[in-house]
Amino acid sequence: MADIALFLPLLAGVSLVLWPGLGRPFAWVASGGVFVLSLVMFFLHPKEGIAYLTQTPLLGPAGIYYAVGLDNAAMFLWLAVSFTVFLSVWVAKAPTRMLGYALMMETGLLGIFAALDLVLFYVFFEFTLIPALLMLGLYGGRERMRALYTFALFTLVGSLPMLAAILAARFLGGAESFLIGDLYNHPLKGVAASWVFLGFFFALAVKTPLFPLHAWLPSFHQENHPSGLADAMGTLYKVGIFAFFRWAMPLAPEGFQGLQPLLLTLAAFTAIYAAWAAWGAKDWKNLLAYGGISHMGLAAIGLFSGTSEGAVGALFLLGASFVYTGGMFLFTGLLYERTGTLEIGPVRGLAKSAPALAALGMILVMSMIGLPGLAGFPGEFMALLGAYKASPWLTFVAFLSVIAAAAYALTAYQKVFHESENRAVPDMTLQEWSFAVVIVAAIALLGLYPKLFTQLLQPLAKAFAALFGGAA
Amino acid sequence: MIPLLILSSAATVLTLLALWIPVRTTKWLTAGTIIAAIGAILVGWNQPAEYFGGLFRWDPLAQGLTLVALLGVLWAVVIGRHGGERLEYYLLALYAAVGMLLMASTPNLVVILIALEALSLPLYVLATWRRDAPSYEAGLKYFLLGALSAAIFLYGIALHFGATGSFNVGIAGSGTLYVAAMVMLLIGLAFKASMVPFHWWTPDVYQGSPTGVSLLMATAVKAAAFAALVRLTTEGLPAWGAALTLVIVLTLIFGNLGALAQTEAKRLLAYSSIAHAGYVGVGLFSGTGGPAISFYLLTYLLGTGLAFAVLSAISNGTVPYERLRGLFGRNRLLGVGFGLAMLSLAGLPPFPGFWGKLLVFLEGAKAHQYALLVLALVTSAIAAYYYLRLFGLAVLSRQPEHEREEDRAGVLPPWPTATTASATARWAMTLAMVLIGILGILPFLGYRAFAAGQPNLAARVPLSTNVSITSPSDGAEVPAGEFSLQGTGKPGEALEIYDGATKLGTVTVGQNGGWSFALEPVPSPGTHTYQARQAGQAGGPSVTVKVTAP
Repeated sequence: MADIALFLPLLAGVSLVLWPGLGRPFAWVASGGVFVLSLVMFFLHPKEGIAYLTQTPLLGPAGIYYAVGLDNAAMFLWLAVSFTVFLSVWVAKAPTRMLGYALMMETGLLGIFAALDLVLFYVFFEFTLIPALLMLGLYGGRERMRALYTFALFTLVGSLPMLAAILAARFLGGAESFLIGDLYNHPLKGVAASWVFLGFFFALAVKTPLFPLHAWLPSFHQENHPSGLADAMGTLYKVGIFAFFRWAMPLAPEGFQGLQPLLLTLAAFTAIYAAWAAWGAKDWKNLLAYGGISHMGLAAIGLFSGTSEGAVGALFLLGASFVYTGGMFLFTGLLYERTGTLEIGPVRGLAKSAPALAALGMILVMSMIGLPGLAGFPGEFMALLGAYKASPWLTFVAFLSVIAAAAYALTAYQKVFHESENRAVPDMTLQEWSFAVVIVAAIALLGLYPKLFTQLLQPLAKAFAALFGGAA
Repeated sequence: MIPLLILSSAATVLTLLALWIPVRTTKWLTAGTIIAAIGAILVGWNQPAEYFGGLFRWDPLAQGLTLVALLGVLWAVVIGRHGGERLEYYLLALYAAVGMLLMASTPNLVVILIALEALSLPLYVLATWRRDAPSYEAGLKYFLLGALSAAIFLYGIALHFGATGSFNVGIAGSGTLYVAAMVMLLIGLAFKASMVPFHWWTPDVYQGSPTGVSLLMATAVKAAAFAALVRLTTEGLPAWGAALTLVIVLTLIFGNLGALAQTEAKRLLAYSSIAHAGYVGVGLFSGTGGPAISFYLLTYLLGTGLAFAVLSAISNGTVPYERLRGLFGRNRLLGVGFGLAMLSLAGLPPFPGFWGKLLVFLEGAKAHQYALLVLALVTSAIAAYYYLRLFGLAVLSRQPEHEREEDRAGVLPPWPTATTASATARWAMTLAMVLIGILGILPFLGYRAFAAGQPNLAARVPLSTNVSITSPSDGAEVPAGEFSLQGTGKPGEALEIYDGATKLGTVTVGQNGGWSFALEPVPSPGTHTYQARQAGQAGGPSVTVKVTAP
């Protein structure tokens, strides 16, 4: 079942790119189908161990397998991704071909979570780059080529050390294949562990993103198509946290522990620095880009604490941010459609003519700043709780970013929706209403009943924390 | 043996016939001959044989690399546009193919030398095909340096004979004389494979030769040279060690840095071919790299072949980067082809180029050449930049407006459309693109063939545990009631045994780490999938067996 859900979007995407005449409903059906399939899988999966397992040799003599399966963490993120992609394809006013690229990218993203073979993981990890490049290159703004080269260079140069680390992880560890179980049974020791972890670190820090390897991200969002589709997909592209959790840290625990203080510092600094940059942002995309980086800093500090609370918080925050940041980017697409600009400032006072739109924006912004009861809060709280055990002072620094978030997001919101001017724009259409209802429901579910997901993540996080002696 | 007979007899017969039949017929007869030879290779795949007292060794290595080389020749014959169709073009390519086949399939140094000359002489002529200044320069450079490298190789053979008393590779010697011999042999082959510092002819020759010929040099000749290198490494590594490493390091660095500085597409492909020789070289160290190298060269052939085909459709001469701008917008087929070629050459997954790289790097890792691997990866990052730049230019950039108007007004030379790429070339390109797609998603289709006869790790490695089922084996056919499940696990651990979704019971792993589970009641005939799970786990190792009536 996982295999169908995994490759359905790729097939649909390629068909759509080749024959755009199939039209938007085709994309809706495909992405909706994947989401429904994921929902079914979520409710049927056995809540422990790895479900929906497929394993068959891909390059037998070289020990490379096509091995996919979903454990609880992967299942949760898989659900979040398929949900967000469905929403994006549903709402974004993007060219039909672009929807095809988005669908192709979905396969890569789902594959990253489902892969149980390290090389297969790398393949999905890199494959995701291609549709992202095409979306940026074909539909981007005027400066798109520069943004594209920055983006491609960061991601490619980052992932090559990871490829070296992947090869070394197997041959230095003594495993016979690249399968996750085999690799887990042969963790690396000593100097080798440090090098391998470092190799992973470069690739994953780019995709988390952590300071200073985040530099590609703002221009990536800035230059992408204004519909918000590419941005929502770009949000989903922040898979570093998961990869740290699934591969880098368990494969080289000693390497991680050697670097832990540095990693915690980087994460805390990322959170606060990005929040500060978001404060200075002049338009929505920039603000959301930096806001997203800031949140990932919080997730990272939770994960790097090596505690089970931190890990649960980090994974939860990752999944939740897919939903609300993705929603936020789509929301700015709606704004752009109405006002023709993404700048914060020139257009003010939209709330008078479009109160429903303003209400939706309010909920999304509140979720982003971590209001209790909405999607952002449980993850942030647990991540900080975990981080506190590892380093109270750095946690305090990171915590400041939460306050800052309230400042930058609310100010921007206030400017656009309230304050004088009262420019008249149309309120939400029926299709947009459906978007609003669904996303608000998802945000509320994540915020009000996080236990549905956290209890699933708990056992994995405990096993993870046990690797670093933090079994509590 | 049959492919050799097909190629050499057809070359002779066609040479005589060609005087009486039209050029186009010669072209298709040549292509048909090569296809027949490829067919013969495939029919006799993985059936090693020796002839002439071991002078001709038709083993998997020879078959694999000959296959790659012949595909390269075929591609050059089908795609090549060389201004003024003349019959010699095809015949010379055919003779070169004979040389390549011989070179890939002999362990004897003297035969290698003869083969080297047999494949080089036609290429010297082909390089000058266009009869203009760059073409003469290309031909002369290629001839002089080729002759020099052959001389060095010959010297190496003499010294090798002096040191070991044999013309065959595989007889390791020792001493200064022997090392000198091996290094000279390495130099001779490095010339042909265009590895730094014996590469300097490459950019000029590739640029000056007709596009089809450049393609031949980049792919087919390289395959032949690497076949000889692989044969030599089994004995050469102890003697070469440092020298080979140095050559590869230099190749990786200068090949990629050189490519970075180019502004002309054929020169870029020349430097890229140098760089790729370096990557292939990484696979030489393990001593078991034959299949990986064959696969790599096949993927390289697909990528480079496609790129050259596109360039050849645009122009038979030089192609400055700017001519590629907005290619996708002007001609979809050429744009997509070029884009795919660049992504595959850059080694982006899931394109075949990635799998090729991965496999040779795995061989490098097996031989613990980590420093070399890191360098190869760093240079891959550089390579990604220049390939992506071309990708961006050809696929993502739009043609500037003023140029589009000049295009329409006929100021610019006519942009080649699908009509200038002949129908054959279009079909060939489409086929290559499909192959790239298939090999990208299902790489084992290619690799498994090359690695035939190598041990397969396909025995199912458990995913998350130390549990395994050792008997019966996966896919076996067993009579009902006459077998039990056996396997390994952690001593003392309880395992749950499933038949499909039905739980059959639990079994405790014995102190020796083994367990055995009697199947009660006797399973019904049909296909059963047995699985062993640790308590609480959703999955575990499984075997699927076909149970027959007792």
